[in-house]
Amino acid sequence: MDFSAILPAMPGLAEGMLMTLKLMVLGVLGGVALGTLLALMRLSHNPMLARLAGLYVNYFRSIPLLLVITWFYFAVPFLLRAITGEDTPVGAFTSCLVAFVMFEAAYFCEIVRAGIQAIPKGQMGAAQALGMSYGQCMRLVILPQAFRKMTPLLLQQSIILFQDTSLVYTVGLMDFLNSARSRGDIIGQPHEFLIFAGLVYFSVSFIASQLVKLLQKRLAV
Amino acid sequence: MISIKSVSKWYGDFQVLTDCSTEVDKGEVVVVCGPSGSGKSTLIKCVNALEPFQKGDIVVDGTSIADPKTDLPKLRARVGMVFQSFELFPHLSITENLTIAQIKVLGRGKEEATDKGLKLLERVGLRDQALKYPGQLSGGQQQRVAIARALAMDPVVMLFDEPTSALDPEMVHEVLEVMVKLAHAGMTMMCVTHEMGFARQVANRVIFMDQGRIVEDCTKDEFFGDLSARSERARRFLDLVLPH
Repeated sequence: MDFSAILPAMPGLAEGMLMTLKLMVLGVLGGVALGTLLALMRLSHNPMLARLAGLYVNYFRSIPLLLVITWFYFAVPFLLRAITGEDTPVGAFTSCLVAFVMFEAAYFCEIVRAGIQAIPKGQMGAAQALGMSYGQCMRLVILPQAFRKMTPLLLQQSIILFQDTSLVYTVGLMDFLNSARSRGDIIGQPHEFLIFAGLVYFSVSFIASQLVKLLQKRLAV
Repeated sequence: MISIKSVSKWYGDFQVLTDCSTEVDKGEVVVVCGPSGSGKSTLIKCVNALEPFQKGDIVVDGTSIADPKTDLPKLRARVGMVFQSFELFPHLSITENLTIAQIKVLGRGKEEATDKGLKLLERVGLRDQALKYPGQLSGGQQQRVAIARALAMDPVVMLFDEPTSALDPEMVHEVLEVMVKLAHAGMTMMCVTHEMGFARQVANRVIFMDQGRIVEDCTKDEFFGDLSARSERARRFLDLVLPH
């Protein structure tokens, strides 16, 4: 084992890590936004909307993420051509991001739904009694409380996504794992680079996990 | 001000309200009492359409609730409601609790809303708690803030749904005191409560409910005056709640 080649490779690896973080942050933001919308649909009194969201969630939770990523890689350009009528290159990054957002939304939806349901019913009644519309009740009273309650779960799910972003290697995107692997291959030290990558994933995820636990304790008080 | 006309309501097959009718005039204080499960909380929640009902109608200040064209949020903005469990918004400060609906529903400016909120806080004796959060206040204090929050909307009528039932005995008094002052100030009030002392002091009329029906609907003096004229069910109830 010779880890000496890793230090000179750092700038390239950092670029990979930047890509990983970018995918994660944007994926989480988009996923939470879409997931919240889906949660509101699932909880709505309109049976059509509720069913539609239910189908979406169950579908995406029943297929592997890897499949979604490859599928979107081929489907998104195709769909765009069907809509705009011309070839629109989107690139691996965009199609991966769309895949993450749509896939994670199914999981975030369930977290948000549980969060909303954990708020006492009377809060909705009190907000309504003050003349707020349904949208205002949700936006001003229910969701702010729900998000506070579910922050630890959302962060935990984000850590999972941090690891899952490594699946983008299938479409050739240079995230942290992929850049470590390819660099190792080129230099001829694949094991050292993979071990190093594993250590980095472990440290980041483990430390983040511990921080979430700490936060959970603080929020519980 | 409030006119309840033959209201009936079912939860599935179970009928919770049967043909309830009564009127609350402007400036009147009406106390609704009865054993638990008699439908009094359900009835008062029908008045601001928090609970839907299947038959009959309720007209509040000229607006029909059963009319599907009625803008219910707009109607609710004119009807103040105080709940058994306070229901202050725990993520907002006391001041924000008092101003959020003024700003977002009535479209008042922040300064005007804060000004109004603080004046009402003064009126319920809690001006110095403005910057705290609901969780830092006692139950009685929270309920007084809840009353101020409802008043901040300049309601035409105030509904109270067992406002003192969740309070420690020594805090009941401070909430009732605020309610009595409000009644003396001429506010139209409909109060579900077991506080017969309050009813005696300020109520114009008392409604007694049992098993989803309005069994008694009479003036305070009639209700407390001649027990022999009351229904058997109301007599039994009064026997239990009135101090001996």
